[in-house]
Amino acid sequence: MRTRTSLLGLAFVSPALALLFAFFLMPVVLTTVFAFTNMSTSTGITGGSHVITGNLLRDLGNAGVDDDIVAALSEGSFSVTPETLAAAAEAGVEPRFLGEIESSLMGQSFEDARSFESALKALPSRPTRIRDLKLATEPFERSILNTRYSSRAAMETAIASMVPDAPVDTVSAIAEASYTGWRWIDGGNFQTLLDRPETIRIVLNTVFYVAATLAFNVFVGLFLAITTFYLPKTGAGFFSVLWLLPRITPVVLYAVMWKWFTWDNGFLYVIAEQLGLPAFNYMKGSVPTAWATIILVNGFVGASFGMILFSGALRAIPVQQLWASEVDGASRWQQIRRIILPQLRWPILFVTSYQTLSLLSSYEQIWLTTNGGPGSTTTVWALEAFNTALNNYTGNLEYGMGAAMALILVAVGLILSILYLRMFRFDELVNKPRIEF
Amino acid sequence: MQVTLKNFTKTFDDTTVIDSMNLAVNDGEMLALLGPSGCGKSTTLFAICGIHRINGGQILFGDRDVSDVPSQKRNVGVVFQNYALYPHLTVFENIAFPLSVRGDSKPDIEREVRAIAALTHIEELLARRPAQLSGGQQQRVALARALVRKPDVLLLDEPLANLDAKLRLEMRSEIRRIQLETGITAILVTHDQVEAMSMCDRIAIMNKGEILQIATPTDMYRAPVNKFVAGFLGNPPIVMLEGRTSGDGRFLVKEGTSLPLPARLAGMPGDTPLSLGVRPEHFGAAGANRVEGTISFVEPQGRETLFDVTLDDGVVLRSIQPARDDVVFGQKVVWPLDAEKLLAFDVSGRAV
Amino acid sequence: MTRNFSAWPIYALLGILSAPLAIMYLFLVIDTFTNAPPGSLIPNEFTFHHWRFLWDPTVTGDVWGPTLTTFLFATSMVVIVLAISSTAGYAISRLNLPFRRFFLSGIMVMHAFPSVTLIIGVFLVLQYAGLYNTLIGVILVKASLMLPFGVWIMKGFYDQVPWEIEMAGVQDGASRFTVWRRLILPQVTPGLLSLGIFAFIDGWSEFMLPRILAPSANFQVLSTYLNVVSDPNSTTYNFNLFKSVGLYYTLPILVLFVVFQNRLMNIFGGGTKG
Ligand SMILES: Nc1ncnc2c1ncn2[C@@H]1O[C@H](COP(=O)(O)OP(=O)(O)O)[C@@H](O)[C@H]1O
Ligand SMILES: [Mg+2]
Repeated sequence: MRTRTSLLGLAFVSPALALLFAFFLMPVVLTTVFAFTNMSTSTGITGGSHVITGNLLRDLGNAGVDDDIVAALSEGSFSVTPETLAAAAEAGVEPRFLGEIESSLMGQSFEDARSFESALKALPSRPTRIRDLKLATEPFERSILNTRYSSRAAMETAIASMVPDAPVDTVSAIAEASYTGWRWIDGGNFQTLLDRPETIRIVLNTVFYVAATLAFNVFVGLFLAITTFYLPKTGAGFFSVLWLLPRITPVVLYAVMWKWFTWDNGFLYVIAEQLGLPAFNYMKGSVPTAWATIILVNGFVGASFGMILFSGALRAIPVQQLWASEVDGASRWQQIRRIILPQLRWPILFVTSYQTLSLLSSYEQIWLTTNGGPGSTTTVWALEAFNTALNNYTGNLEYGMGAAMALILVAVGLILSILYLRMFRFDELVNKPRIEF
Repeated sequence: MQVTLKNFTKTFDDTTVIDSMNLAVNDGEMLALLGPSGCGKSTTLFAICGIHRINGGQILFGDRDVSDVPSQKRNVGVVFQNYALYPHLTVFENIAFPLSVRGDSKPDIEREVRAIAALTHIEELLARRPAQLSGGQQQRVALARALVRKPDVLLLDEPLANLDAKLRLEMRSEIRRIQLETGITAILVTHDQVEAMSMCDRIAIMNKGEILQIATPTDMYRAPVNKFVAGFLGNPPIVMLEGRTSGDGRFLVKEGTSLPLPARLAGMPGDTPLSLGVRPEHFGAAGANRVEGTISFVEPQGRETLFDVTLDDGVVLRSIQPARDDVVFGQKVVWPLDAEKLLAFDVSGRAV
Repeated sequence: MTRNFSAWPIYALLGILSAPLAIMYLFLVIDTFTNAPPGSLIPNEFTFHHWRFLWDPTVTGDVWGPTLTTFLFATSMVVIVLAISSTAGYAISRLNLPFRRFFLSGIMVMHAFPSVTLIIGVFLVLQYAGLYNTLIGVILVKASLMLPFGVWIMKGFYDQVPWEIEMAGVQDGASRFTVWRRLILPQVTPGLLSLGIFAFIDGWSEFMLPRILAPSANFQVLSTYLNVVSDPNSTTYNFNLFKSVGLYYTLPILVLFVVFQNRLMNIFGGGTKG
């Protein structure tokens, strides 16, 4: 017996599969793939073309390519072909003159302007003014410099026609170097990361940020859950709503509120001034206050997550246990230590794991508040990856490098989430369908 | 409609729950699938109605092989243990659901629903929702919904298990009445021998995925094929005594007591190991043999009184008699034993 | 609990800890209706001046266009997330599918997985698909990122529906689709409602995706609008105005939150990103 696949089931999951494929799987794949490229704004994200630029020629010269070849490539040549004739007609060269060029010089090539001009001078209806003659030669000039070739083969052909005696491997090396699109650079991005002195700094920032915020979240979450558990209903309700507000407040407004709280002439500023304490822009003005700000900004959102889960777990503790402990004369503190906390072990572990992962990758709040400043003292890994790839003020977005940085987070995220799946046995929540037809 | 299972086999993952079962339910008959919990009754039922696929064998409705036919096309009505009423629909809509799925016209639906509601005595409940009904009423609605399509077969999975004792009694006769009135072939799954015996034409008794005996309730009670069946039927249950034949028409209980064997077994050679089953009604009422013992337990049950009698060597026999209070705890009694009605089983448990 | 104890030390501790939040939210409301003299926090006049952006587009630009777009965005979120989660969740909970377990594990990994790290990849996907800088692109991305959560939540709700209801439906002759549509879906309406509200709030609040995936598009949502408006380095530096725009922006979800608080608790506990 085999249970048949339900066609309805396939139809029901396929929209989800399609979207998840497009916006989960594909991004993972693309991040992985492009982490090994130098893709950036200047290379474009689709394939590039082949162009020899002045800069490239200079680099080639420095790299030891034969000077003659470099010189030959930097010069143009003149040839009479249907395309150049058409270009000349376009440029307004007199038709009769053009006709003569076509009939007598078709298919010929000239190394330099002088020889082409003397060939033209031999034609009957050449322009009388030398200036017009020079103008007429221009459309026939074919320079490899700054000309786009769509394929590498085309570029090689062009180079070979310019410098017929160049060795094949030099030609192919130049063609290769002329590619403007992104290219594979193996582990180049990761090597760069390793070599950069900022990297270690950012890693340390990230560790500090995650650890500090996590500690705040878990401890405050616990504190809130336990205190609201003991408080009368209205008091408890007030505080849990207050702490839930940041969770539903849009992040932009939440950031504005924190700015008001910590900014110049903001709340803390005014209070500090009146108390004669140092008053400055706490969010951006000093490193310790900047750290304190982003930890609190995130902590005040995150603590409610712990609060909700812990409160749920607390309500699940049979009241009889608490009564019994009170009858036994346990103080409230003993009750918390001996009865409540041990039963919150799994929720605490869950909140810790879950928030580690989300803090590791979150940067929205930091971006909207300190934006990693002052300097890059509060820059964390995720923010740096995002800035590198998508939010760079210099205008050159380094997608490849950003992808490499993101890939590290993606890998950590995948490993941790699979680990949690195992640890919390979520994968055992599947039951076999009981209707087998 | 006759229902036939041929070599029906059902496996979940690696465990075979039913191995090659054969069963035939006659047209218009109500058959009980009786057995202890976990023996595969529901599994059998679900295979018949098409919720489970079978791993081997055939299921026939009349001559039609329905083994690969999905539930929707089997035309079977099922009453589930928890009734499975649709909580968001009224009673009327619940009962109308099978008809409206079939595409019946509004007036037809209206007429059919009213008719079946009349049969099941729920006319005045049609506008309510399931949450507003008592257990017995829900049961009636579930029956009405199962029957409204005029199914070929009606399956009932422990229909009375969720009812309190009084309602259970009432619904027992109600279900039977409705089954008889409609003349439908019905299979009742239950672990309760009283339900099975009181409601059904025949009982198929199951244990560990196997049908042990199919018979009318009386036959099965009187002549169980084995020890398991004998033990399963009867309340208070049968007392089993282990021992050997003496060779001269008597039975020596392990502990030492000697009891008479029924005449049909008198010729058995000596020293044959046997189990002797004594039902409470066979001790203390009538019979040629006298057994002496001490009353060690008295349980008045109103109409009847149940006694435990401990014999000299410690063997305990049970007796049920019309209510009496002339016998008290600790009293010595000499009561008759109806030896001809005793049941005997060989070492493998088979009746002899 | 049972024994009397004095609650005020707890209130005091909680009060101190919650003070920043209380102050921020209190002044969020107060400041939109009042002015305070420079260097002071105590308001000295009542005014509607800060709300004039609602009718005077010269203050912060037109606010109604972004409002409409945001509504459209949030509503699309609700529609897509509900439609897809309610079907996929049912399939995973109840139907025979190959790799069902694997699919469910995948959903859960994706749910725990921090999707913001994918933003670079998503950016590239949109570029290749030609959906960069379009509203539809942002909607699709946001809905997809919410899907693992939605499917997981709906699967949980479907799991609660007794199998017997489904079996009874099938016995009554209904196809699995009809069973789902007419019998099962009505049982999970609380789930649909919670998830829908959550999707609406989440869509309404979304900032990153429109900002990054449609930076130069010809539409604006309120989050990006507020972000532009509330730049403290801008010439219109005025927190009273920022807060008024912000409060206007947040009002709808505050209302939803207050009305549906209990339903949302389940969902928040069901594992939003902390
Ligand atoms: N879907 C299933 N998967 C695995 N085992 C099952 C399943 N359904 C029933 N079983 C097993 O099959 C046996 C018979 O179950 P069932 O038919 O429900 O017994 P009952 O006679 O009490 O109705 C039990 O041991 C049960 O554990
Ligand atoms: Mg059962």
